[in-house]
Amino acid sequence: MRAVLSGITVRFGDLVAVNNVSLTIEPGEIHAVVGENGAGKTTLMNALFGLVQPEAGKILLDGNERHWASPQEAIAAGLGMVHQHFMLQDSMTVLENIVLTAEPVGRLGFVDFARARRLLTARAKAHGITLPLDRRVDSLSVGEKQVVEILKLLYRDSRLLILDEPTSVLTPREKERLFGVLKSFRDEGRAVVLITHKLDEVMESADRVSVMRGGHLVSSGPLSATSREEIARQIVGGGLPAPRQRTARVAGDTVLSVERLEVAGRGRTVGPLSFSVRAGEIVGIAGVSGNGQAELIAALTGLRRPLSGSISLLGRPIEALDVEARRRAGMSYIPEDRQRVGLALAASISENANAGRDDRTAFTRGAFLDRKAMARFARMLIERYRIRAAGPSVPAATLSGGNKQKLVVGRELERGTPLIIAENPTWGVDIGAIDFIHGELLRLRGEGHALLLVSSELDEILALSDRILVMFDGRFAGEVSGAEADPERIGSMMTSGAAELLPEVA
Amino acid sequence: MLDLLFDASFMASVPRFVTPILLAALGGALCERAGVFNIALEGFILTGAFAAVLGSYFSGSPWLGAIAAMAAGIAIGLVFAEFHLRRGGDAIVVSIAINILAAGLTTYLLRAIFDVMGAFSDPAIVGFQPVRIPLIADIPVLGRVLSGQSPLVYVALLAVPAVHIFLARHRLGLRMRAAGENAAALEAGGVSPRRVRLWALVGCGTFCGLAGAQLSIANVNLFVENMSAGRGWIAIVAVLLTRGRPLPLFLIAAIFGTVDSFSFRVQGLGLAQQFTDMMPYLATLMVLVALSWWRKRQTA
Repeated sequence: MRAVLSGITVRFGDLVAVNNVSLTIEPGEIHAVVGENGAGKTTLMNALFGLVQPEAGKILLDGNERHWASPQEAIAAGLGMVHQHFMLQDSMTVLENIVLTAEPVGRLGFVDFARARRLLTARAKAHGITLPLDRRVDSLSVGEKQVVEILKLLYRDSRLLILDEPTSVLTPREKERLFGVLKSFRDEGRAVVLITHKLDEVMESADRVSVMRGGHLVSSGPLSATSREEIARQIVGGGLPAPRQRTARVAGDTVLSVERLEVAGRGRTVGPLSFSVRAGEIVGIAGVSGNGQAELIAALTGLRRPLSGSISLLGRPIEALDVEARRRAGMSYIPEDRQRVGLALAASISENANAGRDDRTAFTRGAFLDRKAMARFARMLIERYRIRAAGPSVPAATLSGGNKQKLVVGRELERGTPLIIAENPTWGVDIGAIDFIHGELLRLRGEGHALLLVSSELDEILALSDRILVMFDGRFAGEVSGAEADPERIGSMMTSGAAELLPEVA
Repeated sequence: MLDLLFDASFMASVPRFVTPILLAALGGALCERAGVFNIALEGFILTGAFAAVLGSYFSGSPWLGAIAAMAAGIAIGLVFAEFHLRRGGDAIVVSIAINILAAGLTTYLLRAIFDVMGAFSDPAIVGFQPVRIPLIADIPVLGRVLSGQSPLVYVALLAVPAVHIFLARHRLGLRMRAAGENAAALEAGGVSPRRVRLWALVGCGTFCGLAGAQLSIANVNLFVENMSAGRGWIAIVAVLLTRGRPLPLFLIAAIFGTVDSFSFRVQGLGLAQQFTDMMPYLATLMVLVALSWWRKRQTA
């Protein structure tokens, strides 16, 4: 199916999210749409899929102009979308999830599961996908859930597939499989649109690439006619940030010391873990997410009570202290989940910026909050951390993902505590924001703070860490110094034995 | 003493007490699974009980009474849907309003139509006759439990596997489960969760209407103000305990119904009514404690 978008404009209030964009999606091609967060990639594709109504412009499928009243009409016309967040029913089986909303019905409206199973098995086989159809979705790995999403589209025989950031949660091996399947779709004559901000994926798998910035289409053409550097330049709209250089530094005294820490995890115990972080060093914890990193962080920050072991901060035992007392003792925490843990989305930027500071005399007048001082502080954060926001009093929910993250990072780093714990600090943020956050973390390292960085992005760990601890199955599989880190070796530690455990998903 | 308590006539009375709770709980289960927090089962049942008497009195047929009860239950379900699904009212607020409305409305209609207060009993109210099931009726003890009950008892028993299969295999059942678990995903697939929930409320109204009919034209042949007497609340507890799964729901409803029946029995033997009235709720608390203890052991 050939889709032509012509002069599409989408407006949200005063914001022009997509500005007069024209684009052609050819059958039998993987078409990458790239750009920073908030560049309008997802909004453009939502318009094609009927999730938002464009203010102007035309959508043509195989030459016929189409208007969607709802995504249901777009689905019926052969479009399919895998959303950034999984749209799955966890307590249902794989098969139930796939047929849901497109159920083949037999007598009296009962679902003909046998028919669905036959159809699906045949189609999946053609693309080399195997998946246990009777497993409950909540027992699947993230990669397998992604496969369920793709099987949904295959089951509906979508001719044009839109995938919104499909790899942000996948392991390298799962990514490889995903792209194998997408290429197989392409070779069958389906059109595949890949929304992403990862250039590696674009270079590796796309046939055509369109770059968006600030709601405009910057370029669109075959991949062979452009280069990685040019795409990167078009994404950020100017020169690229230089790669960060870590300056050599001798680490100081021990700030965080963990001895034989054990934490209860889902169905197993994490630990025993022992390690320390010294002043002026970044210790990176690498690993595929779900190997105990979350439990370790929760135990360190006081969100979960450890089973045994000791934690000391600046030589003082803190394992019995609560979250607030630990923060006062000299700890800051940038959580992975900015939506639920990092921020209160309905509260204003100013309130979020001051969260955890309301006991300070600088922000109070007697028993009451000093709103003016709070707003001053929020404005300072907005300026220093280059948060794109309408002002300190707007709700945090109005910020884009990258700007939300900058707000959390700014609030935590401005505390200037001896220990900073950062958990996937650049998850889902664009290149510009990643560079900025990395720069801030390195600046604090230079100023003699101790940093514990947990990240499932190996590149991030390699770029920042002085020492790297690799976590696998609740324990440290090894330690490598940052200078002599070898991605191959760390990669094998991250998955020691894991490859065999994974079922064949794609 | 035990012989006195657990004799055959006690056993025969158990299904009469289980059935209204079970029917209402099955209705509540549809709402629970579809993501409607419906705690107005009490009001639904009471409306059904009144409509059953009304229908039977004017038509002379308990079947038409039961149909009137279902229609009234559906009507209340649609009121719930209008205020909760369409106008976006909070489910708890709408539930409380419906419970109060049902109590007031039935009392008012009792006066307006029959010109009585408190209770209405009349020979023109034709109740359901017990159904004698051949062969089963001849089994000692069990025969008296399973045979000789009102038709609605059998409807309720058949409804348990029916609702189970409906939720597991029917298109609408599948969509109800999706609406309750991840409505956004259902919507992304192009199905309106609100429409699915509307059907859940219609189903809930049907079942609760029948629960009311069992109370007013099967167990007795009269309507008493507030005759649902907390059974809707017990049904809600059963629904929440079992997360709306029909088969465990049947077990819990059977326990509550048996205790309900038992409390009635010991009252006849001279135990203070204030104490016996408390028993179903004590049983609820005990089940809650037992279940949380059991779940804790499962996860440990």
